Amino acid sequence: MTARWTAVFRKEIIDTLRDQRTIFAIFIFPFLLYPAMLTLLSWIETKNDEESKLLSVRVGIVGEAEIPGLREWIAKTPGATPVTLDRAPERLEDANVNAVFVVPPGVEAAMARGDSVKVELLYMDADNKSSAASQRLSPILDDIERSLTVSWARSLGARAEAAPPVSVDRRDISSKTDKGRFFAALLIPYLLVFMVAAGAMQTAIDATTGEKERSTLETLLSTAASRGDLVMGKAFAVLAASITGAVTGITGLWLTFNVVAKVVPGMEQGSLQITIGADKALLLFLTLLPTAVFLSAVLVAIGCFARSMREGQTYASYVYMGSVFLGLGSFGQQTPSQSRFFIPILNTALLQREILTDTVNSLHAVTAIGVTTGLAILMLIIATRLFSNETVLFRT
Amino acid sequence: MIQVSGLQKTFHDRKKGDVHAVQGVSFTCRPGQVFGLLGRNGAGKTTTLRMLATILVPTGGTATVAGFDIVEKSADVRRRIGYLSGETKLYDRLTGRELLQYFGALAGMTATAVAARIGELTERFALTELLDVRVGKMSTGMKQRLSITRVVFHDPEVMIFDEPTAGLDVIAARSVLALIVDLKRQGRTIIYSTHIMTEAERICDEVAIIERGKILAHGSLESIRNQSASRSLEDVFVEVVTGVGGGSNGDR
Repeated sequence: MTARWTAVFRKEIIDTLRDQRTIFAIFIFPFLLYPAMLTLLSWIETKNDEESKLLSVRVGIVGEAEIPGLREWIAKTPGATPVTLDRAPERLEDANVNAVFVVPPGVEAAMARGDSVKVELLYMDADNKSSAASQRLSPILDDIERSLTVSWARSLGARAEAAPPVSVDRRDISSKTDKGRFFAALLIPYLLVFMVAAGAMQTAIDATTGEKERSTLETLLSTAASRGDLVMGKAFAVLAASITGAVTGITGLWLTFNVVAKVVPGMEQGSLQITIGADKALLLFLTLLPTAVFLSAVLVAIGCFARSMREGQTYASYVYMGSVFLGLGSFGQQTPSQSRFFIPILNTALLQREILTDTVNSLHAVTAIGVTTGLAILMLIIATRLFSNETVLFRT
Repeated sequence: MIQVSGLQKTFHDRKKGDVHAVQGVSFTCRPGQVFGLLGRNGAGKTTTLRMLATILVPTGGTATVAGFDIVEKSADVRRRIGYLSGETKLYDRLTGRELLQYFGALAGMTATAVAARIGELTERFALTELLDVRVGKMSTGMKQRLSITRVVFHDPEVMIFDEPTAGLDVIAARSVLALIVDLKRQGRTIIYSTHIMTEAERICDEVAIIERGKILAHGSLESIRNQSASRSLEDVFVEVVTGVGGGSNGDR
């Protein structure tokens, strides 16, 4: 006797396989979305590498005379300009450099006495440009060690292996605040984009496809309200939900970094110190608005197009995943080029990072806000057209 | 007044090709009259009514509702109609009052006018028990009463009912029919579609039998009944739509 559960199983499989949305989600979508997203992320990563190599950096040298050839090694490094300094700065920006080689005075004499020697490359891991500079200068660390050792061996006629210890290392001089700012700039834009998309998703589908599924659409369409009024009302409701998501997100982050961190034992003493001022919180909110409008309009358009809540939620989840991927694309960008600010969502995340690191480029800001606002208006027009199209509204 | 002349609607289906849902339908419905559009499921009743409510755009013919062309002056038409379908639902998460306020606002009524109108209709539609209850918690009969209130709320000249008793029990259905008769007495223009002949016999003054998008018979109840020896509207309907008995008259 065939077990009853197999009958149920068979029916569910047939039912599922006859659902075009499931077929699309399981068998087609993965072959479209993931390669597309991987291609995009790879492109962004490749561009990051290329741009990183072209980045101009200023490299300070303290004790230049102690190591003959150090200035030339730096000068030969692509994009690096050596700068002579009298002493090591407390902060790199004080000396307007991105990294500093610090060679202590009397290196040769110290080695001749058999003392250990320490040469440092100071950089800031919390600063993209400084971090990139330190990576690029890494080969010079070996050159310095070799040069000091060989020089010692020649002067004493000894074997290089017998040289006193020479330590040539990189040292991160980022403060807790620097690290906190870097961490915040990396994570917060991504989280905000994620929160805006998540806040808009449910409301958008409920307000549009939900009307079809609940059989309230006909009543609505027969009222004196124009289709434009209906779409605008719905889009603003979705926007309100989306913005509420963003506001609660910003408030939650502010509370975490400015209040919770100060009362939870250990957090204050940790290696990060993150503070978000009210001015930055406001700027984050304002720059997030066009993206919230854009995502709301996209989701309303999708909701108008979808035949059922299930279909609408499937499509909306693709938008959500796309947003998450684009938000992820903002990670690891050194100094993003102008072209990156033409990509919606990614541009907002990058602009917000500039806000958080006090490196706002006005052209980037205008491009990001302009492009996103333009796309938001375009999507609202598309949503209104879809809501006015009976073939779309009543398709089965 | 509703005047329909040669109204057509063709849908394009990828698999079936062109589907002619409504093919040259013509009729007139006057104030103080209930015009019945009778037909089987899929006959073209709902498509016709959706066109009159400006939800769908006709592919041919013309129609005016309350003196306004349904294509050229669709916004004016919508201001003057109340539309109710048996399949139409309400918003479960709103209370009766919130629902009426919402549709009042969509009709362009001020908050004061909405409040006044709720006061006017409370006794007539026994709204007291509905106003502060969420729609999701109402019985089917209560919901339909609220639906009818919603239809008449902005005081429309023309009312379009598409099988409004579908899914209702006998008591609820009777109360809906009684309300429609009451609206007729007030001089409203009412078009009413159904496939239940007894309902049509109770409330309609004039009927049209529609089948496959075409009106096969049209006239007063009396003239339609005269087409069959049994003088039953149901018999005439069956004869007309199945072609049995060849029932026809000049009104067709």
